[in-house]
Amino acid sequence: MLRKTCRGLFALLLLVLEWTRPGLPSPLRPICDLRVLNHFIQEARDAEVTMKSCREGCGLTEAAFVPQTTVNFEDWEKKNAMEQAQEVQTGLWLLQQALGLLRTSMTNSELNSHIDSVIRNLQSITAVLRSLNFQEYTPPASTVGLEGTWQVSTAAELLQVHLNFLRGKVRLLLLDAQACRQEAS
Amino acid sequence: MFVQLDIQVYREGIQIHNRSLLIELLFLLDPPKNVTVSSTGHQGQLNVSWVAPTLKYMDDSMIYEVLYAPADSHVGQVEAIQACSEMILRGLEAGTKYRVQVRVNLDGITYDGYWSAWSDPVFTETLPAELDPLIVSLTFIISFILVLLCLTMFLSHHRFLIKKLWPAIPTPDSKFQDLFTVYGGDFKEWLGQTSGSLWLTSPFILSEECPSPLEVLSELNLCPPLSSPPLPPKASKALALVRNEDRVLNKGLLDRESVDKVDALQTNGWRTPLHDHWLLDRLREFQQHPVPRSQCSLLECQDTYITLSGNKCTEEEHTEDTLEEALPPGVLFASRKPPKSESHSDLGSVQQSSGSGNLSSQSSFEYPNNAWMAKDPGYTYMAVADSGVSMDYSPMSRADDIGKVVIYANDYKNEIPPHRRSFLVRQYPVHDDV
Repeated sequence: MLRKTCRGLFALLLLVLEWTRPGLPSPLRPICDLRVLNHFIQEARDAEVTMKSCREGCGLTEAAFVPQTTVNFEDWEKKNAMEQAQEVQTGLWLLQQALGLLRTSMTNSELNSHIDSVIRNLQSITAVLRSLNFQEYTPPASTVGLEGTWQVSTAAELLQVHLNFLRGKVRLLLLDAQACRQEAS
Repeated sequence: MFVQLDIQVYREGIQIHNRSLLIELLFLLDPPKNVTVSSTGHQGQLNVSWVAPTLKYMDDSMIYEVLYAPADSHVGQVEAIQACSEMILRGLEAGTKYRVQVRVNLDGITYDGYWSAWSDPVFTETLPAELDPLIVSLTFIISFILVLLCLTMFLSHHRFLIKKLWPAIPTPDSKFQDLFTVYGGDFKEWLGQTSGSLWLTSPFILSEECPSPLEVLSELNLCPPLSSPPLPPKASKALALVRNEDRVLNKGLLDRESVDKVDALQTNGWRTPLHDHWLLDRLREFQQHPVPRSQCSLLECQDTYITLSGNKCTEEEHTEDTLEEALPPGVLFASRKPPKSESHSDLGSVQQSSGSGNLSSQSSFEYPNNAWMAKDPGYTYMAVADSGVSMDYSPMSRADDIGKVVIYANDYKNEIPPHRRSFLVRQYPVHDDV
């Protein structure tokens, strides 16, 4: 009788402790499904297509720095995960800056919606990366003079670079993310 | 990759082509290798598997199309699948040989390209058709139940079905005793031998008729003029006729040969049942009057007897029959002679057949069949009792005597059809058509 009571009380205690466990914030669940990225890529493509048909009011007022999008599988594989992550995060930051610049100089209302969605998507990608346990990125002081950047002067070029970047490096990074590999295995 | 590639083609220093492209969007892959088709173990299914092209980082970007068709058919079906290198085909025919091919492409989001060529066809036969035990057992049960139902229905209605399928053909054997068995269908003989009266009278008996006979004997002296002032016209006719008969007969119808006078009272008036009652009353009156039997006896034998029976409940058809039967005795004419001057009827339109001048026993009966038929069948008509027969025609005992009627043949030259001659001089009640 006493033993039963003890067991019951012990179980109750465990329950309570578990419930009120002092807390580290639980880590984000890793987003390993690439369909999210595919959706972003498709929206970026729609924006680029729309931008190509734009004649007026859709130009950059000043040159913007964008990441290089060239991908060589052998070269990519030589880099370690941290370098890859760094490269991708830098590129994302640069694109965010450039798109912000484009947004301010945009007068075409139709394209505004596209640009806005693209900017939102970039923020979502950043969150995805964070969920995959990549280290926090500390942006540099300015965009000027960074390595591995290009300079674009038109909105069309900017969006094209953006699209290629997503399809290339970002995708490769997500595809090979350690967290996802661990989950799969 | 992922960067624009500019291509310029020069020939002899002159640019002939210039193009910018992204190479990750222009893939043309080889068809999938090692396509294998196997059975899944289920009816109408096949399992197809292949090896994807070996490209890094593009496995999940590949889409495949599987083409399958019966081996002898040209038109096939295509099933698409993404990022998976095996597939199960369903809905196939059992026991047929199928041809399967596969091709690959990229999905176009990150990478894009063109469809590869179809792989080499692979032939496989599906499992042969099996009888599903459940279906077989259900079929058996349902058919068994149906058979049971049919049997039950048949047994419960077998009489009805037999009657419908093989309807009984009525034969007259039951009505004609011994006609077919003894006499072999010879009607004349049968009539002569047996009591055919049964046949003739049974319908009368059975038909629930109530004959109300009126018998008028020629020799009866219906002397007291019946004082019946407001006679119904038809009754007056009857009376008049009776009186006429009296006088006519008395004038000289004692002759045997002329006895065959037929008085057909063809007046339409005989038909009403009211007059039947009246006639019956008259008869009773007559009965009460003493009739000299001695006088009557001879005449009874020889004279014409007029018997009328008014029916209250005759049937139309029966009357027709009796009409036909009564015809041969040859007593029935419809004579359309104008009323005789002898008529004392109050009505001038009374039709009378005095007959005296019209008939003789050997003479042909004026027997217009057509005329007879043309008239309403509801005539009272009479049977003539020929000479040599003593028949008691008292109205009361009439029913009893019906069975005693004797048949005798007469050579009447008349238009009566031969087969009816055996009916001559039959005595049977005459029915009104009421």
